[in-house]
Amino acid sequence: MTFYFLSSVPNAMPTRRSFLAQSGAALTGALLLPALPGCAPTNPLAHITGRLLGQDAVTGHLLRDPSRIPAPTQTIENEVLIIGGGVAGLSARRWLHRHGQTDTLLVELAPATGGNASAGRNAASAYPWGAHYLPVPDVRNTELLEFLQAAGTLTGYAPDGRPIYNDYHLCHDPEERLNIEGHWQEGLVPSLGLSAADQAQVARFFKLAETLKTAVGRDGRDVFRIPLDQSSADEEYRRLDEIPFAAYLDREGFTAPALRWYLDYACRDDYGATATQVSAWAGLHYFASRKGQAHNATSSDVLTWPEGNHFLVENLRRQASAPILTQTLAYDLRETATGIEALVYSVATRQSTRVRARQVLLATPQHIAHRLLANIPNHRLPPPGSLHHAPWLIANLTVAGLPQGPGRPLSWDNVRYGSASLGYINATQQSLKQDDGSSKVITLYWPLTDEAPGPARRRAYQTSYAEWLPRVVAELETYHPGVTPYLQQADLWVWGHGMVAPTPDLLWGAGRAAAMQPVRGRMFFAHTDFSGISIFEEGFYQGIRAAREMLGDERNPLSS
Amino acid sequence: MAELLEAPAAEAPNVASATAGPEARLPGLLLAAVAVIATCGLIYELIAGTLASYLLGDSVTQFSTIIGAYLFAMGIGSWLSKFLEGSLLRWFIRLEILVGIVGGCMAPLLFVSFEYVASFRLLLYTLVGLTGILVGLEIPLLMRILEHRYPFKDLVARVFTFDYVGALLASLIFPLVLVPQLGLIRTSLVFGALNLAVAAVVLARFPETRPYRRRFGVGIAAALLGLAVLFGFANKLLAYTETLAFQDQVIYSKSTPYQRIVLTRNPRELRLFLNGNLQFSSADEYRYHEALVHPLMQALPQARRVLVMGGGDGLAVRELLKYPRLTSIKLVDLDAGMTELFQHNELLLALNKGSLNDPKVQVINADAYQWIRQDTTRYDAIIVDFPDPGNYSIGKLYSAAFYTALVKRLAPGGRLVVQSTSPFLARQSFWCVAHTLAAVGLHTIPYHLYVPSFGEWGFVLAGPDTHWRGDISPLPTGLRYITPATIHDMLRFPPDMSEVPTEVNQLNNQVLVRYFEEDWGPYVH
Repeated sequence: MTFYFLSSVPNAMPTRRSFLAQSGAALTGALLLPALPGCAPTNPLAHITGRLLGQDAVTGHLLRDPSRIPAPTQTIENEVLIIGGGVAGLSARRWLHRHGQTDTLLVELAPATGGNASAGRNAASAYPWGAHYLPVPDVRNTELLEFLQAAGTLTGYAPDGRPIYNDYHLCHDPEERLNIEGHWQEGLVPSLGLSAADQAQVARFFKLAETLKTAVGRDGRDVFRIPLDQSSADEEYRRLDEIPFAAYLDREGFTAPALRWYLDYACRDDYGATATQVSAWAGLHYFASRKGQAHNATSSDVLTWPEGNHFLVENLRRQASAPILTQTLAYDLRETATGIEALVYSVATRQSTRVRARQVLLATPQHIAHRLLANIPNHRLPPPGSLHHAPWLIANLTVAGLPQGPGRPLSWDNVRYGSASLGYINATQQSLKQDDGSSKVITLYWPLTDEAPGPARRRAYQTSYAEWLPRVVAELETYHPGVTPYLQQADLWVWGHGMVAPTPDLLWGAGRAAAMQPVRGRMFFAHTDFSGISIFEEGFYQGIRAAREMLGDERNPLSS
Repeated sequence: MAELLEAPAAEAPNVASATAGPEARLPGLLLAAVAVIATCGLIYELIAGTLASYLLGDSVTQFSTIIGAYLFAMGIGSWLSKFLEGSLLRWFIRLEILVGIVGGCMAPLLFVSFEYVASFRLLLYTLVGLTGILVGLEIPLLMRILEHRYPFKDLVARVFTFDYVGALLASLIFPLVLVPQLGLIRTSLVFGALNLAVAAVVLARFPETRPYRRRFGVGIAAALLGLAVLFGFANKLLAYTETLAFQDQVIYSKSTPYQRIVLTRNPRELRLFLNGNLQFSSADEYRYHEALVHPLMQALPQARRVLVMGGGDGLAVRELLKYPRLTSIKLVDLDAGMTELFQHNELLLALNKGSLNDPKVQVINADAYQWIRQDTTRYDAIIVDFPDPGNYSIGKLYSAAFYTALVKRLAPGGRLVVQSTSPFLARQSFWCVAHTLAAVGLHTIPYHLYVPSFGEWGFVLAGPDTHWRGDISPLPTGLRYITPATIHDMLRFPPDMSEVPTEVNQLNNQVLVRYFEEDWGPYVH
């Protein structure tokens, strides 16, 4: 019961209390300063706690020199060994479990399964360390819907057959905002200050995307589908995979700078690569493949959780009971008369084990699979370095407030026009609590696309926390000038191989299909590297495809 | 105005110059002190009167009773002065220190305790009486100190001249300079400091104070420091600038982690604002709260357990307590700052009849959404009285998902009512609330009434069926707005606020917040 005045909206401003506390701290600092003569000027970031995390590159790099690993002291036997506990490996394990193959062992190098869908938690919130949402799925992806129903994300079906999603898992409004010169507009497609001609181009592009969403190839299949292997083989469209997205856009007259920024942003966001680096087919797939339907959501809605897709991988893991060994590195594979003999090393016990398995699923990135196949002849994996994997920096920032300019309030996805990073998501978006001014966690995504992946990766691995922090803070300051005093904690994570980029000819060239072919019924492959697009759905279906191959089930969802 | 502002300050150098000369000039110093203490004395009286009329309303009654009590207390002080023996100068300095502390702290103390003290009037008159007694002691004591230095007729003439000059000064600068420039709290503190200054100057200038000069000096310094600290915190005690933002006098304000609570009053009414938005006016809140509660209770003659969400003012609970059959009323309000204010403040207790302190009532300070998802009790009736859906945080409390959670807590046959903003000023918003309740499977009965402070206001009653009539069971006696006939009238929506199509408010679209911005936009810009 109230008269409400818009002018009084407390737009995620720092609370008066926190402001007073900070000014108090500043004042105390100023008073103490003269008492400490000879002291260097105080470090404005000294109040920020945090550390640099990342994959266990040291253990991982043991693969390059396995002679340093102790010889195995015991032998175990399993029907199936899965190497790699990311989405694809967990999905395969789940599928095998549900189809009678329970004698499975999964080994994972990291302390927990989940791959790039891992997560963290502090007093303020849980937060993602990587993948963090799933678009409302296509209703034809029945395997995915079944999984989501078991996870409690899909709660049932409306009389018209459309799925009903859990209200608490659908991303809460407001969803997206874009900062253009200090003003926050709604949505990520730039609209503020665009000329009529540029606006017309934006409209033409989205009309094209709508047309492509419903386009069907001569073989009767959708031109763009998720999983992408179900897309039409129609050459007219597949030819788009041969040219870079940027060249396609030039050719089609999509030249407005704001539109090009947005499309480039989309490529960096989904693929960790720029519009000049990915193929036109992949660039268009981003806009034309999301055909989800729901009773209580639209195709543009997404499912998200404070911990990001860690929610999904934890559910994948829980929907099967086969054993998992974490902190365990597979480092040697050999064929035997009856199957495969794998050597695995436990980082925790510093002991190696010989695993005898009838079948092995390599659910690792291709460059790792390639190394593991050193003693397995006649596989068709491309040599390491063939795929484009940009390194990523992810920063989870705990903030006491976000001083902001005019426009839309804090949203789930917050991006600045022209910014080097991809912006941040609000990990506390799904919170149902009334805002009490307590701290929030925001997750900043930053694919390091300024140089080629190799040099960028080496540079990223050599950069210390003390060097990263000022860059991250400077980036956030461009979003929220004056935010530095409100930053409490900044934890950083460097992904050396963030995700595969669908460079021209990767998706529909001959190499990708060949690479995922099983080797003599013993070695199988599943990873988004084999899709060429790193999204949850692809990992999920890669796992199912491989599991079906292992079970001898020819009803392959990826070639239906 | 600026000259007037400097007037009290200019007093001090005069005192200093008067004391700069030989000892023969010391009586002059004491006469100057008369002017200062007379000004201070009248200022305290004016502060008490103004404060009482701000906080308690009815300025004529408050002013005359405060002035009467103050003058009477001065009389007691004058009579008591005859019992003071020994070093009169020492007594005078002691007295000035005491007046400085009591008078100086009067306004801050009254403002701070307004929230906590059960009987505010008792504290007010105690302070007024104490200050009056101390001020009443001053002039007789000074006359006794001066009695051998002047002939009696001169003494009386001079002392009373300075006394009345001080009174004139006080009565002019108080409304023209002090209240607008300093506010009541700071004025009180400044004049407390002036009394202490008089004590300090007398202590410094009269040689006979030497034996106790150090001890008293420390006391004065400590008291001055205390007043200075309070002066620094004056803004925290009462954001004086807020009085400019509100039409009426701000009598209470507090920032909690969730909102800024402000109470204002004018001669006619008391108003509560949360974050600058009017929550109620004491003049017509009964219309709103009777309409919120009684139609729902009408429909539930068997109801025993009721849940109130929001409504930390206890006014809806006041209406509920008119049904003796209720065995349990739970009130869930986010902000302990609100419920405590309405559980302890005398004025507000008078308004909500102490409803939140009733043994049947359980007050829970929790976040409504989180609480309802964890609760396991079932209720016959749920009353939802949240602030309007003006931001995305509050918008969640109007979502289909929230209503689903509420329905799970309803006993079989139970019903709920939701305050649904104005169907006239925010027509889309109102109908969006109704449609959202319908979307979770409830049958809705929208209704509205006119609340003068707000305009047309609407509610949506919702339950498992539409078998509801406004005359099922008798209404409590003494209602001022709701009758079976008014209930009947409230159900009719004229064409300018009749139903409009809207989407359903969901967490993932928050259409209600968008409607609300659209609806209110024209009234804001």
